[in-house]
Amino acid sequence: MPELREVPDEAPPFLGTWKRVYIGVAIYLIAVIAGAYLFTRAYR
Amino acid sequence: MRPLDWIVLVTTLFSIVAYGLYRSRGSNTVDRYLLAGKTMPWYAMALSIMATQASAITFISTTGQAYTDGMRFVQFYFGLPIAMIIICATVVPVFHRAKVYTAYEYLEKRFDSKTRILASLIFLFQRGLSAGMTIYAPAIVLSIILGWPERMTTSIMGAIVVTYTVLGGIKAVTWSDVQQMCVIFLGLIIALVTVFVLLPNSVSISDAVYLAGSAGRLNAVTTNFTWNDRFNLWSGLFGGTFLFLSYFGCDQSQVQRYLTGKSISESRLSLLFNAVAKIPMQFFILFIGAMVFVFYLFAQPPVIFHRAELARIQTRPEYAGLEQRYNRAFEHRRDAALAIAQARHASDDATLERTRQEYRVAESELNEVHSEAQTLVGVAGGEKGFTDTNYIFLSFVTRYLPVGIVGLVIAVIFAATMSASSGEINSLATVAIVDIYRRYVKQGASDHHYLVASRWATLFWGVYAVLFAGLAGRMGSLIVAVNKIGSLFYGTLLGCFVLAFVFRRVRGTATFFGMLVGEAAILSTAAFTDVSWLWYNPIGCAVVVITALGITYLLPGDASTAPGTLPA
Repeated sequence: MPELREVPDEAPPFLGTWKRVYIGVAIYLIAVIAGAYLFTRAYR
Repeated sequence: MRPLDWIVLVTTLFSIVAYGLYRSRGSNTVDRYLLAGKTMPWYAMALSIMATQASAITFISTTGQAYTDGMRFVQFYFGLPIAMIIICATVVPVFHRAKVYTAYEYLEKRFDSKTRILASLIFLFQRGLSAGMTIYAPAIVLSIILGWPERMTTSIMGAIVVTYTVLGGIKAVTWSDVQQMCVIFLGLIIALVTVFVLLPNSVSISDAVYLAGSAGRLNAVTTNFTWNDRFNLWSGLFGGTFLFLSYFGCDQSQVQRYLTGKSISESRLSLLFNAVAKIPMQFFILFIGAMVFVFYLFAQPPVIFHRAELARIQTRPEYAGLEQRYNRAFEHRRDAALAIAQARHASDDATLERTRQEYRVAESELNEVHSEAQTLVGVAGGEKGFTDTNYIFLSFVTRYLPVGIVGLVIAVIFAATMSASSGEINSLATVAIVDIYRRYVKQGASDHHYLVASRWATLFWGVYAVLFAGLAGRMGSLIVAVNKIGSLFYGTLLGCFVLAFVFRRVRGTATFFGMLVGEAAILSTAAFTDVSWLWYNPIGCAVVVITALGITYLLPGDASTAPGTLPA
């Protein structure tokens, strides 16, 4: 089997660094849970 | 199904396969066949990951679950973004830099060969059982809906999947998955729009949402906690994180998708897309189920949604009385639902409260009759403990959706089965060839030899999956046990990879015995406690890690054994 080629590790296309992208996803998760909670409360 | 539905179904399936095979041209070396030569863009990987994870039963069962139990199942996915962040930051760059074909190949570089073979065998056993079930579960439902024998539906789906997976390898799988996800999204959007259109004129979309909420079907977040409750905020965040870490970090059927990326960044983006898109997608599917529930507030649902089982109980003397009570309860519930909508429009709080109370009484009576009818199935010689949850959505589709759309939704079910199944077959073949055949049977053969072997292995696992799906029908209640197989093994695999990535001092022997003890702990938990399966993963992972650390520090001889070639 041939050895697999090296693949590059590039910066993300937005927010500059991966750390910022991960923080963005974490904030998104908090917002989604909060939204789902409010949705549940609103239509209980 | 009318002629136009058949045309839509056949055209959709043919287009998916043809496009997948067209995009897989040039898969003539083993690295292209198994990993697409590491050339895939992020969006193709992202949709392929999503498609592999979403089997047909996801759509059939999830909508039915929202109908009966509300939307709280969405909390199961709250751990997904957390797991994806951890995997993107740790696993993805390590696997790419290690230049491995499989996740388990990395374990030999990090630990030793016995750890790799143990992990590979666990994967082959667990995923092998699951591959058969992936084809079988929707085949049962489709057989009932289409009136075909189960063997025919499993054979048709199996033949299509095996053809494009054997011929085109992972490129065909990935590009077919992209098409399949597009069909799935389109089918779901049309299904929701159709539900809204079918509501009575006096009931607006806002009323429908209000009624679903009043009936407890919009309970997307529940904060109460018990160990045996599968779906609440805490089990979703904690148990879900561990489950998805195991699934996306240690299961070759997922790892292989993002190892095809043309860069580490593309692989990360594909996973993060899933982190962001998966919860809204599941929310949307559950919402469709809740709206189907609202639709059935105004159109009388059958006493049970499984046509054959309904026919079975209709011959029983108890049925006539049940049907009368059911009809009466439905009329009460429909009238109460209409009265709620009118009181809401009139902002009449006193009437609203009174009609809500009437609704609750009628709903309770309807559920009681429905439950008695399901029990009667067992009494009449059907399956004991029968529930019709999985038949609700497709029963609605075939009875109420317009011609053409029925064919499209059935195509969605076929597409979801094919996408999940092709990913499994492809990854099973890869592990069988890379971790078993190349490592222990034939080392140093030519690229062409391994390419041909990979095709044969793919054919073998495809035929195996179809045959196992054929046998599954005779396994009765064991099917339930087989469905839980994944959660019985993921914790052990996750513990092994946590040791590989986090604990530099731990070596192969400690990890190997840690995995054995961890597996014993999970099986004991499953056998002797009623702890929900979502907790097996954290329990198994913790036992593997603690045992391996104990061996490493209490028996330091293991720390001095030859480490693998890669650092943690």
